Amino acid sequence: MIPDRIIEQGTLSTDGSRASVDVRIPWYRALPASCIAGARLTIDGVAAEADTLRWEMNGEVRTFAEMVDDTEQWWFPLDSAVLSGEVPVTAGADCEVRVDLTLYIPYIVIGANEVLHIEEHDTKTMKAVAA
Amino acid sequence: MTLGTPLQGVTLYSFTRAFHGREYDLEALIRKVAAEGYGPGLEVIGFSSLRGFPDVDDAFAGRFRDLVAEVDLVPTSLAVNADIGIRRDRLMSQEELIAYMRRQIEAAAKLGFPVARVQISLTPDSMEQLAPIAEEHEVTLALEVHADQYASHPRILALRDRYETVGSPFLGFTMDWGATVSGFAPSLLEAYRRRGASDELRAAVVALWDDFYEQGPPADQAEHGQRFGRFIALAAQHGRPDLGIDFAINGTGLFGPARVDDWREILPWVRHVHGKFFGIDETGEEPSVPVRDLVALLVENGYSGAISSEYEGWHWNHWQSPFEIIAGEQAVQRSAAAAAGSRMITDAAEARQVLAAHHASARA
Repeated sequence: MIPDRIIEQGTLSTDGSRASVDVRIPWYRALPASCIAGARLTIDGVAAEADTLRWEMNGEVRTFAEMVDDTEQWWFPLDSAVLSGEVPVTAGADCEVRVDLTLYIPYIVIGANEVLHIEEHDTKTMKAVAA
Repeated sequence: MTLGTPLQGVTLYSFTRAFHGREYDLEALIRKVAAEGYGPGLEVIGFSSLRGFPDVDDAFAGRFRDLVAEVDLVPTSLAVNADIGIRRDRLMSQEELIAYMRRQIEAAAKLGFPVARVQISLTPDSMEQLAPIAEEHEVTLALEVHADQYASHPRILALRDRYETVGSPFLGFTMDWGATVSGFAPSLLEAYRRRGASDELRAAVVALWDDFYEQGPPADQAEHGQRFGRFIALAAQHGRPDLGIDFAINGTGLFGPARVDDWREILPWVRHVHGKFFGIDETGEEPSVPVRDLVALLVENGYSGAISSEYEGWHWNHWQSPFEIIAGEQAVQRSAAAAAGSRMITDAAEARQVLAAHHASARA
């Protein structure tokens, strides 16, 4: 729907071991935390290990597992979330950033006990800044 | 029958990329809609435009109503969603669903919308259970008939039959013109060209869609699924499997191949309209949606509710401004209404009066 906007240009930051990037929802309407099923963060071809990934939204930093039951916090279409993970990046270097997102679309029922899920990705090149 | 005078208007969904791209916040977008004459009808999607929805506090509701009054627009429909799959472990229970929808119906009333657009995930039983809530708040629930469904689809006829049984004037349909499309949108073909799809592949996609158009809309979900698979297979055969899902979603879910006359099955229950379209060509016409025939059908059948122009080409058309394209479609609507011997209402004061009478007529 709006995958070209997932990664916000110029938001890659690093402390040397962890990197983070601002991300926008690729859908036209807000979705609750429970419907943000997972993400991958890959920089110059190196993916952050899944257990190091964290999602910051509405001021809270959590794992995806911690968001599964949360139907109170929403990712609003105008807001940036922050995806971070352990992946080495050199500050000042040009990096190819790729973000993969899996979202559930809670109002599109496609089976007896199943709603649509979408997998979207975006790739952008930007300089990393020191956190 | 007296000819209808539909209200011109727009849904803010048409401007999704501009809003999402932070070019306009909600207030700026509403002001632009008013200033540039896309109204007077205004439709908003709760979960898109309103932070914290479905919670709407009194202060926000007051500001919203004041703004709409100041710029002289007419609220036509609040699009709401039945988020049945909001939990990961199970779908909502019926009780949870009714409570979830009640909050959104209350929000529609609080913001001054006479209609809450609901979707196909609500069953006849759910609509029957929601009818007293709609009546309490005087908000009509207009279930959207959207591709891959169409008016004579078994699920829609089951809803219509239940409406007849229940007899509530607050149950109806939103007609979405995407159910009755007459061609694969040229602007999407241009987008595929820009993504490197060959002339041969683009011609094959059109031929497949045209074949489905000749066959008419899919009889049921199984046939819909088969068609979905045919688009995916076509992309793979041409060495572009990456385009398969896109072909399938758009070819079956946006470009519904029912005929305009199919709407007659439910016309008396149409309380709101999404004037879905995908682009305007160099002659000023919509090349893939029979806008003129659809407006004529509504006018000739006495429809005097709102038509929200719903531009959906924004998904793929990143090279043209949505604003000019929407103005173009509204010009076609006005011209079509005139050709049918009537007109579109563009004056806000008249629109308020006509829209109130439209909804009151269901209750007479």
